[in-house]
Amino acid sequence: MTPPSFDARWLATRRDVLARATLGLGAAALAELLPGARAAGGDLRPQRPPRAKRIVFLFQSGGPSQVDLFDPKPELNARHGEELPDSVRRGQRLTGMSGNQSSLPLAGSPFRFERHGECGAWMSELVPHTAQVVDRLCFVRSVHTEAINHDPAITFFLTGSEIAGRPSMGAWLGYGLCSANRDLPAFCVLISQEKSGQPLYARLWGAGFLPAEHQGVQLRAGSDPVLYLGDPPGIDRARRGAMLDGLRALAAIQHEREGDGAILSRLAQYELAFRMQTSVPEVTDLSGEPGEVFELYGPDSQRPGTYAANCLLARRLVERDVRFVQLFHQGWDQHAALRPDLAQQCRETDQASAALVVDLERRGLLDDTLVVWGGEFGRTNYSQGKLTPDGFGRDHHPRCFTMWMAGGGVRAGLTYGSTDELGYNVASDPVHVYDLQATILHLLGIDHELLTYKYQGRRFRLTDVHGEVVPGLLA
Amino acid sequence: MRAARSFALLVGAGGALGWSGLAGGQAALAPRARVDFGRDVLPVLADRCFPCHGPDANANPSGLRLDERASATTGREGRAAIVPGDPAASELVRRVRAHPDERMPPPESKLVLDAGEIELLERWIAEGAEYAPHWAFRALARPEPPAVADEAWPRDELDRFVLAELERAGLAPAAEATRAEWLRRASFDLTGLPPTPGEVRAFEAQETADAYAREVQRLLASPRYGEHMAAGWLDLARYADTYGYQNDVYREVWPWRDWVIEAFNRNMPYDEFVTWQLAGDLLADGVGAPGAPGAAREQGLATAFNRLHRQTNEGGSVDEEFRVEYVSDRVHTFGMAFLGLTLECARCHDHKFDPIAQREYYALSGYFASIDESGLYSHFTSATPTPALDLPTPEQEAKLARLDARVRELEAEIAGIETSSAAFVERFLEDPPPFDEMADEMADEQDRFPLDGDALPRLANLRAPGAVDAKAEGPVQRVPGRFGGALELTGDDPLLFPKTGHFARSDPFTLSLWVWLPERYERAVILHRSRAWTDAGSQGYQWLVEEGRWSAALIHFWPGDALCVQTTDELPRERWVHLCATYDGSSRAAGLALHVDGVRARAEVVRDALTRGIQGGDPGGLTLGERFRDRGLRGGRVDELRVFGRELGSLEVAQLFDGRALADALARPAGEPALRDYYFSAVDEAHRGARRRLAKARAERDELHDRVRQIMTMRELPAPRPVHLLQRGRYDARVEEVARGVPAVVHAAVGGPAPRDRLELARWLFQPGQPLTARVAVNRLWQQLFARALVETSENFGRQGTPPSHPALLDHLACEYAASGWDTKALLARIVLSATYRQGSRASERAREADPDGRRLSRYAPRRLSAEMLRDAALFASGLLVERVGGPSVRPYQPPGLWEEKSGLAYVQDTGEGLWRRSLYTIWKRTSPPPAMMLFDAAKRDVCVARRQATSTPLQALVIWNDPQLVEAARVLGERLAREFGGSPRAGLEEAFRALCTRAPAPEELAVLEGLLDAERASFDAEPGAARELVEVGERAPDAELPPVEVAAWTVVVQGILSHDAALVRR
Repeated sequence: MTPPSFDARWLATRRDVLARATLGLGAAALAELLPGARAAGGDLRPQRPPRAKRIVFLFQSGGPSQVDLFDPKPELNARHGEELPDSVRRGQRLTGMSGNQSSLPLAGSPFRFERHGECGAWMSELVPHTAQVVDRLCFVRSVHTEAINHDPAITFFLTGSEIAGRPSMGAWLGYGLCSANRDLPAFCVLISQEKSGQPLYARLWGAGFLPAEHQGVQLRAGSDPVLYLGDPPGIDRARRGAMLDGLRALAAIQHEREGDGAILSRLAQYELAFRMQTSVPEVTDLSGEPGEVFELYGPDSQRPGTYAANCLLARRLVERDVRFVQLFHQGWDQHAALRPDLAQQCRETDQASAALVVDLERRGLLDDTLVVWGGEFGRTNYSQGKLTPDGFGRDHHPRCFTMWMAGGGVRAGLTYGSTDELGYNVASDPVHVYDLQATILHLLGIDHELLTYKYQGRRFRLTDVHGEVVPGLLA
Repeated sequence: MRAARSFALLVGAGGALGWSGLAGGQAALAPRARVDFGRDVLPVLADRCFPCHGPDANANPSGLRLDERASATTGREGRAAIVPGDPAASELVRRVRAHPDERMPPPESKLVLDAGEIELLERWIAEGAEYAPHWAFRALARPEPPAVADEAWPRDELDRFVLAELERAGLAPAAEATRAEWLRRASFDLTGLPPTPGEVRAFEAQETADAYAREVQRLLASPRYGEHMAAGWLDLARYADTYGYQNDVYREVWPWRDWVIEAFNRNMPYDEFVTWQLAGDLLADGVGAPGAPGAAREQGLATAFNRLHRQTNEGGSVDEEFRVEYVSDRVHTFGMAFLGLTLECARCHDHKFDPIAQREYYALSGYFASIDESGLYSHFTSATPTPALDLPTPEQEAKLARLDARVRELEAEIAGIETSSAAFVERFLEDPPPFDEMADEMADEQDRFPLDGDALPRLANLRAPGAVDAKAEGPVQRVPGRFGGALELTGDDPLLFPKTGHFARSDPFTLSLWVWLPERYERAVILHRSRAWTDAGSQGYQWLVEEGRWSAALIHFWPGDALCVQTTDELPRERWVHLCATYDGSSRAAGLALHVDGVRARAEVVRDALTRGIQGGDPGGLTLGERFRDRGLRGGRVDELRVFGRELGSLEVAQLFDGRALADALARPAGEPALRDYYFSAVDEAHRGARRRLAKARAERDELHDRVRQIMTMRELPAPRPVHLLQRGRYDARVEEVARGVPAVVHAAVGGPAPRDRLELARWLFQPGQPLTARVAVNRLWQQLFARALVETSENFGRQGTPPSHPALLDHLACEYAASGWDTKALLARIVLSATYRQGSRASERAREADPDGRRLSRYAPRRLSAEMLRDAALFASGLLVERVGGPSVRPYQPPGLWEEKSGLAYVQDTGEGLWRRSLYTIWKRTSPPPAMMLFDAAKRDVCVARRQATSTPLQALVIWNDPQLVEAARVLGERLAREFGGSPRAGLEEAFRALCTRAPAPEELAVLEGLLDAERASFDAEPGAARELVEVGERAPDAELPPVEVAAWTVVVQGILSHDAALVRR
């Protein structure tokens, strides 16, 4: 099947829907949208054609420290050890972890920053590989969120609500856009193995109240990259093929007998399952990649289940037109021992993140693949616990943090938004999580206000009743 | 399901089918029939207009309400939105047809009215714009069964409602299903399991008139019935075996699940069933108290229903934020499960579609807020969040009674000693020994730290001169003290006494400390022995300053299992103050006394409900001035810490303060009655010995009691906790206090005073006239038996819900249900025996056109098995199913690593029978639910869910083919077939087909299966190693007597049948 055409998306009339059966908008979404939101003219068409066909979201779970990676603050360094002024804190609630400290000492970054690339973006010494690709990246320093604890914050980021039960971003996309690859799931989830840190939850890639088929499918390192994918011992393709032949015959008989179309559509799912049993191991098997690719992604990429191997796998998936690949890397929660622990996190992720951008670009995929890097919130500019010469930590911070994006229609080489001189508040061009979600959907050609699903009598959407596309981020 | 099918349709063939649902309500509108407000107009108005012209006053700047006729027909600036009978004069009509600048709905709303809908509104206005109250809010009245043309068809009154509709549409019911088809449906629908081939044969051979009824009675009498009914109830109750947020720790709530099974099995009337769950704690005096006996305990246990929501222990979370969240979850669950209303919409603003004000949301929350709970469960201990109910085994109960009696005996014995030793006392008082001769100055002193700061960071202990463990951590400052030096604290650096103060709640003890407080602390930790505060359940003991006052507490789980007393006066500041707390080991607040400057301070009891241990969570030793994540004693000074393993008397406390009270008393003994207490406490060996025995007896009782199983339940606070309207639903944005109450739109049909408490609220659900409870309940029962509920949106009976397909039938059943005394089994039996349920599933050409999705009940629409049924049926057919009712949740096969990669908790798979129990017993970890069940659309159990989806995806095929659970089941059934039907494979195939599909295979089907069996046999023959591998799958040892090739071939064939529509679908 050819990938669907993205030009013919929002349709004027229902007749068009029926006439063009292979357009990009998922049938489920259309069926839901049309009764309430039928367009009389072209008013539902997006302002511009979609720029991204796929998305790789490199989720850094725990809350990476923006002031130590992307957003240098000389003034913070200069006032190291001074108390966080109330005039800066402005009543921001703190978590119970640092909220009862008798002192909130400002903590400058112990890491060196330098400018890189033609765009001159400031980058910390911890991310030397990312520093080399800054001209392809778009940094947003002014992201802010609502929640201050991990569970609500990550749930908010990926489902648009702090309360569990809503569909995840990938499920929304799967519901809104039909799959472009017949043999692979539209929404794949990759989790770095052997990491510990803040827990992850199946709901972060769940379908919420959307049909369960839109839930993310986790691809895992090891022999069964998708749950239950592998044939049981003793069953090979031929035996399974013979059984499928039998099922085909049984379905035909049953269809004849019952006259129910669902019998044939279930059979079609069986056929797809059978094909996936080949296509998924093929895509997850990295062994055929040339040595220079492993070099590009770094030595970890040879070890299945690492972040680096998952970045490489993500590239293979988007090459095959998987719509949404969501990586999770835990361990960015530096409440203490920030210096060594943050450096370690960066060693695990920096090279492969940059490599993914380079690799996509040289394969001509970066133009229509959006890469997003970031976590659920940022970290405080003050020390959690005591500020000692030996080390310190940073608590959760919702008021500002940095994310970067690449490809897929975002403006490369841009640093968007700014924070105040102590790195505590957004100083210009704030981008709320809802705005970021709206912008991501926009890049995929979806009007975030139109991608709705009626549940409990209400139209729900990823951005709830909020969110504005941020034009400044668009190429 | 429209949405579910669409993916397959788009990629596969035959697209047009998927759009059949698009026209929705309009298609149902007969061309010239009079417009029906509720069915035709309200859905359009509600969906497109109410967001700005509906009940939410804050979102309605114009003030025009289209949900109220009076407002809609009132003139504004000379024009009314609706002029009944005159569309042309109606502003509404003009605006929906206007140029985009003026058009309604406005373009930015992204809502559009299409031409058909506009025409509909015009017709409605032309016909007089009659409003009608929303159907679901109208009081229930029993509709008479309608007349029908075909009098022969109905078997039950309910069939008349269905048939009348069919006849009106010119449709005939489908031909009756075969007995086997019916029994298959009824068995699955009533017990969750298929009938055995033997049961089918027996039923087919039955010729008595009541054959069907007898089958139904058999099914309803089976304990499997309760298990099956419970499985559905668990979705509503958002039941799970873990807390849900973040670390998602295990919690023991399965005793509630077992209660539900049992309640269904004994056919507890639905009103009682619901009342117990909502308010069983209020049914009788003392119910819900930790030691509640018998029936009262069962009623308390039922209320765990309200506590099954998710709970967090994430470090740093704000207690109140999550407590408010829990209360809201109870309200939402109550709304969806019993009223079919989406109350959550009104949490942040007035409901957009239904007439439920935000204030009413909070009024309702008042019933659910009034328990002594915390927003956080314990991070470091496994304490059950309060309120909690004890569930002792009968043996434990008996033993506890004995130990309690022993404690009481010893308490009496001590009182006896105090009387019988009177003479000895007199002698002592006449001639007491001088103070310095008293043994060891003050008896039972365990530790004495002068805190002079002369060897910092070391803190010397006069009672253990060589000891070096006590120390100051971090900078403390040496300052002049009450006696010599003292220490000034930073608030972030503790003084640690690792070997000191390891007291259990049965240990009497006394702590004495001098403090100098620089300010009126909002909150500050003076001392404690515990791991952490707020986010950690704070198990241990502690002294705090709270708003300037001194409090002392012993805590198992704050706030519901603790004792705490607090001084009524604030502590003096900027001078040395002596604090001394004495405790008698009784676990009662009366046993904890606070003394300031040597005098018993006036104090109030904050909590007096300590029932469990205070030493969990690895609390370390006594600590001064700081606690993990709590506020320390910043700038405070401390001096002279003394620890006694005894409850000191008043003279001794005074002595600690002034250094002479006891000595003075001993010098002039005759007038000192306090010396008597001193004598018994410090000197008299008989008394001291009895007290030691008492402490031991208490410890023994406590130790047993701590092992008694507990479960979270409801227990009403003595004084209701006030609730507030929260702006935008934010926990910290209180607007004003709101009294308890129920939504007026529902209450209007009930009448009378509003319920005062949760019990009255539960009873309010079952008041005559209550419009929702019975409709919602029978609708769900219908949903259990048919592909679609009468109100398809079984979670939403509001204006945005789907109107009932058969409103009179719904009301009829609702009235009958209530009139029967809420007899659930009787209602299920009626429906299952009806002609409607007995219809076959094949659609005639005519029916396919006029009733494409079976909504009109012109046939029995096919349904895929639920996640539980699918797995349980395979286990059942194979003979692997272990049928034992209840008990702790089990851990069957699951792909390795799923729990570990999310929250680091190991999934330890069961061995033996835990692998083969019914699916409702599979452990439910919310952040990593059983993956195979999730793929078959099981509810996630995060929040209340009234309806499951039914999708069809490739991953489902992978589960059937490759999940060891199902491979093993296929293999074990394959073994039986190979064993019993080795010589006659046809008979074996028939048997397998009957076991899984409940019917005989057609000859063509048999031919396909025979071909498959032969092919697999040949294939395994060529590769016997593969056969051996396959028959080893699963824990059940393969039958060594059987040739692996045979078993393997049968296994694949069984897998094929399991994947067959005939096995997966009820038709």
